[in-house]
Amino acid sequence: MAEAADSVVDSQWRRRLAAFADTLVPGGAGLPSASAAGVHEAGIDRTLACRPDLRDLITSVIGVDAEPREALERLRAEQPGVFDRFAVTIAGIYFMNPDVRRLVGYPGDAPQRKRASPGEAEEYLKDGILDPVIERGPIYRTTPS
Amino acid sequence: MSSRATDVFDALIIGGGTSGGVVAKHLSEAGMKVVVLEQGEWPDRDDLPGEKVEYEFLAAMKWWPNPNVRDNPADYPINIDDSDTEIWMYNGVGGSSVLWAGCWIRALPSDFRVRTLDGVCDDWPITYEDLLPFYQEVDHEIGAAVKPGNTAYPPDSRPAPMDAHPINPGGRKAAEGLNKLGWHWWPGHNGIPTQDYNNLKQCERLGVCRMGCPNNSKFSSDLTHFPIAIKHGARVVTGARVSEITLDENGRANGAKYFRNGRQRSIAASRVILACNGIGTPRLLLLSKSERFPNGLANSSGLVGKRLMTHPYGTAIGIYDDFLEDWLGPVGEMVQSLEFYETDTSRGFVRGAKWHIMATGGPMQSVGRMKVDMEWPDDFWGENFCKTMKEAIGHIIEWCIVPEDLPEETNCVSLDPDLKDTDGLPAVRVRYKLSANTQALLDFHLNKALELHRASGAKKAWINGRAFASGHNMGTAKMGDDSRTSVVNGFGQTHDVPNLYIVDGSVFTTSTGVNPTATICAIAKRTATHIADTALKDTTGVAHG
Repeated sequence: MAEAADSVVDSQWRRRLAAFADTLVPGGAGLPSASAAGVHEAGIDRTLACRPDLRDLITSVIGVDAEPREALERLRAEQPGVFDRFAVTIAGIYFMNPDVRRLVGYPGDAPQRKRASPGEAEEYLKDGILDPVIERGPIYRTTPS
Repeated sequence: MSSRATDVFDALIIGGGTSGGVVAKHLSEAGMKVVVLEQGEWPDRDDLPGEKVEYEFLAAMKWWPNPNVRDNPADYPINIDDSDTEIWMYNGVGGSSVLWAGCWIRALPSDFRVRTLDGVCDDWPITYEDLLPFYQEVDHEIGAAVKPGNTAYPPDSRPAPMDAHPINPGGRKAAEGLNKLGWHWWPGHNGIPTQDYNNLKQCERLGVCRMGCPNNSKFSSDLTHFPIAIKHGARVVTGARVSEITLDENGRANGAKYFRNGRQRSIAASRVILACNGIGTPRLLLLSKSERFPNGLANSSGLVGKRLMTHPYGTAIGIYDDFLEDWLGPVGEMVQSLEFYETDTSRGFVRGAKWHIMATGGPMQSVGRMKVDMEWPDDFWGENFCKTMKEAIGHIIEWCIVPEDLPEETNCVSLDPDLKDTDGLPAVRVRYKLSANTQALLDFHLNKALELHRASGAKKAWINGRAFASGHNMGTAKMGDDSRTSVVNGFGQTHDVPNLYIVDGSVFTTSTGVNPTATICAIAKRTATHIADTALKDTTGVAHG
């Protein structure tokens, strides 16, 4: 991941990112924390490789001189839009982890093809669930010609 | 390709998007010599992100519907400092049909008669019945999947080419709640085929329609219309940004000037057809000022750019115990409800809205849904994040409300005095504010949607979206019979310049309360049919009648 390998993304930067990410996503309910899911390692490398524009956002947030929780609380109060973009970015990286995706129920690492089987559309309706709507009759307003 | 300066085309179509594709196909099949100028490029379909691990990050930039975020060379800036909503579109061959969700639904008969029925706005100069044959035609051009018999519509003698998609577990759950309340619902109407259909493939239900379908399973005019138009001789010039529609000494359109690769060029045609939709079309008319038209071309009414309507969506989300596989496509509509579509003045507002459930997309989108109106750190970010998201993903039903916003002249598109596009042309400024009627309409419908969530068994439900962008940009070149109060007539012909036509969403007299793509396509088909039918009788470029 050449994009992530430059001098900005060094080990200190990664540790700092991990601390901020864990504040937002500390884990629980059978899911790992952000750092345990590699948000600050493979996750950020993969993300910056496709979205190098996010590097400045992340660096600006984690670069403030404060503990992560305090920094994030202040950011949220003073710059809610920036907080929002940062937090959703961390969540996005977290959910790219294939184990996390599997644990929350997604069927694969990316959207999966699942063509409808023959008769599947009818199957949902076969017990007459549409009948009350049909029995009620037309609901459109007629218009004068 | 480039056109020789001496070529004179029968039809110059400006804008290679949704409506431009419908018109290009029709006119070229009719034997007319057609050229299309499109400021963007053909979408690189191999680059569509929907099956990649990073799909949500990729979609959030290069394939994002907000041109200010996407910032492709073909995109012009849109100043929304004075707008309650973002403006979405896609600039390239296929236009916004590349990124649309796939909701393919007709306007209702009452939509064309709002003055007569409800005493507001204006009646359209055309009726539902006028448009019906063209709705049917475009159903078959795009591969619509619609279950016949929807009780919200008059009977239809020519059904769509295929039945609806499965309503999926979420649609089924919602339908049970709707039946408890005795409210209307119907399986979704989608512009996405359930089987291979012409150039389109059977839907694989990836649920990524809004970032472009990597399986070519969704109506996109770059797939469904332009290849046929080209086969019939139409020329599509990409990277061609029109700066001005030109006129002859009699005030008739005779072509356009455009930029391509930084050089200004010109092209000649016996008729000009504008297909840039509700933002781009007024922009170009306002750019095309002249001594004869000092306030912008075809703008003697003063209405070019005014009356912008955008369908500022509302959403109400519910979390259910049941596993609903909520990401399962197509995105468009699982089910829809038109229960509260018509005016009931006891509600304190006029007109109404369509509701539908869409597939949820990926986890980032669901995070975006969940975090709204939830307090940090106690309720969402932090200790509860994983528990909250684990309970939500796969268990979401989100009702989307498509509110009919009424036309107001103060909601408008104008040229920005400062911002420019990459060719140095003035960009666009949008002023758009929600009216009291729209606010009241959204309040009512969103609260009704919460009532429905409760009836459907949601363990938690809340309003999570209000006035967010729809990509429905309408009304800025109004259709009407009176040249003093409208820009085009019922055939999309401008009152001021008889061989200049507009075929996109800007001609909507009112916004309706449904997604506009089917109506845009039907109007484009009707205008194209009118032009082709009369072209052989008249060599002046003017379609009479």
